[in-house]
Amino acid sequence: MKVGLFLGCNLPALRPDAEKAIRISLQSLGVEVVDLEGAACCPAFGTFWSADEEAAIAIGAWNYSIAEKMGVDMIVQCGSCYSTLKMSRHKLVNEKLQEINEKFLSKVGARYEGRSDTKHITDFLYNTVGVERIKSSLKYSMKGLKAVVQVPCHTLRPSKILGFDNPENPRVLKELTRALGAEVPTFTRDRQCCGGAGGYARRNRRAAMEFLKLKLDSMKEEVDPDCIVVSCITCLMWMDEAQEEMRKLGMIDYSIPVFDYNQLLAICQGHDPQKVARIAATPRDKVIAKILENKV
Amino acid sequence: MPINLNEERDPELIKQIVKVGGEDLLKCFQCGTCIADCPTGVADEPLSVKRLIYIAKLGLAEKLIEDETPWMCVTCTGCEERCPRDARPFEIILAIRRWQCMEDETYIPQALTEIYERGHTQNVVNPMREELDLPEIKTVATREELLERFRQLLRETKIVREHGYMFGIMEE
Repeated sequence: MKVGLFLGCNLPALRPDAEKAIRISLQSLGVEVVDLEGAACCPAFGTFWSADEEAAIAIGAWNYSIAEKMGVDMIVQCGSCYSTLKMSRHKLVNEKLQEINEKFLSKVGARYEGRSDTKHITDFLYNTVGVERIKSSLKYSMKGLKAVVQVPCHTLRPSKILGFDNPENPRVLKELTRALGAEVPTFTRDRQCCGGAGGYARRNRRAAMEFLKLKLDSMKEEVDPDCIVVSCITCLMWMDEAQEEMRKLGMIDYSIPVFDYNQLLAICQGHDPQKVARIAATPRDKVIAKILENKV
Repeated sequence: MPINLNEERDPELIKQIVKVGGEDLLKCFQCGTCIADCPTGVADEPLSVKRLIYIAKLGLAEKLIEDETPWMCVTCTGCEERCPRDARPFEIILAIRRWQCMEDETYIPQALTEIYERGHTQNVVNPMREELDLPEIKTVATREELLERFRQLLRETKIVREHGYMFGIMEE
């Protein structure tokens, strides 16, 4: 199995430890990860999509042309990258492929035929690698730990264009987390979005935090989890960093560690937590120590 | 901001929004499903696609140009998924943003110039890479020749052609 890792911007810029976790955990699963030479921003919805749609699709096509030339599909963790790449591909293969090739790619010696696709990393892990193979790669387990999952909304909707899970009752990330041995309970606001993406937190931080608090309070009161499992750079950073800010503001008085799924997978596979889960605002040491007590 | 029906109306407004990607706007029958589950609902001034569509249909261009709520969108696309009319509210939000950028270039996000400059919204080469034994970044961030080709592609786009000076491109 060979895949092209689409990095995007936030993951390598701000959480290179999560990037490390993705690379090394896939390696442990026997997946060959190649870098997409010359890839650029996806581009994010708040950028070219908000000013010039054709330009956004052309940039998407540029990224696809690189993957296609290397004969791989792209896998991506960032929800926003996933969504925009699926969106541009949808518009390309259904309508604009020829036009974008002629107007843009041909001018810079590139071409996209519509073959290469994008997969979200949870889709790839669940549907291509499979939970059995994940289980057999583990040296440690999350047994005895209670984890709730934050499914990235960008991997669910619009389901007609990019869905691989049930949009109103997603189970992929839950099953993946269960494969690590954790208990994954459900709670009232289970399916609520984190509120961290787009322009919300930037334009009205207080409201975005109030929105997140609804979800955090619900999980704290109903299931009191040991940690939150995400698989999107924005969910990761927002749920982790906003919690710290909310504690300082007196909005919450508890602390729930947040992990990217591949960080937990990598730790369970026996990789060094100092490399795969180094950066966090909300301390995660207790969860990591607990995992390392559970040898498989 | 209340809607004042006595304000000057621009019958072209709706056509302009449709032209930049809001073609399903006319399907909206104002049911409000799009705002029922919107994350911005807890804000003092929430983003209401339903209201924005109403403003566009009335042709209240002045009101629409002043409304910054489309930029608060979380892009979760809950509205897009659940709209019973398939009016694609999220696409309408993007279309309104595009229209605003056309009418008032101060709306054009700064991030576009960042992407033109370095291919990314920010510096993606984190100094911690070495300590983490991460391989070299191979995106346009470290490939000058590919970055130049990427910029060449962007110079073919309408937004960069029409606003070259924002991207540091001087007119010939």
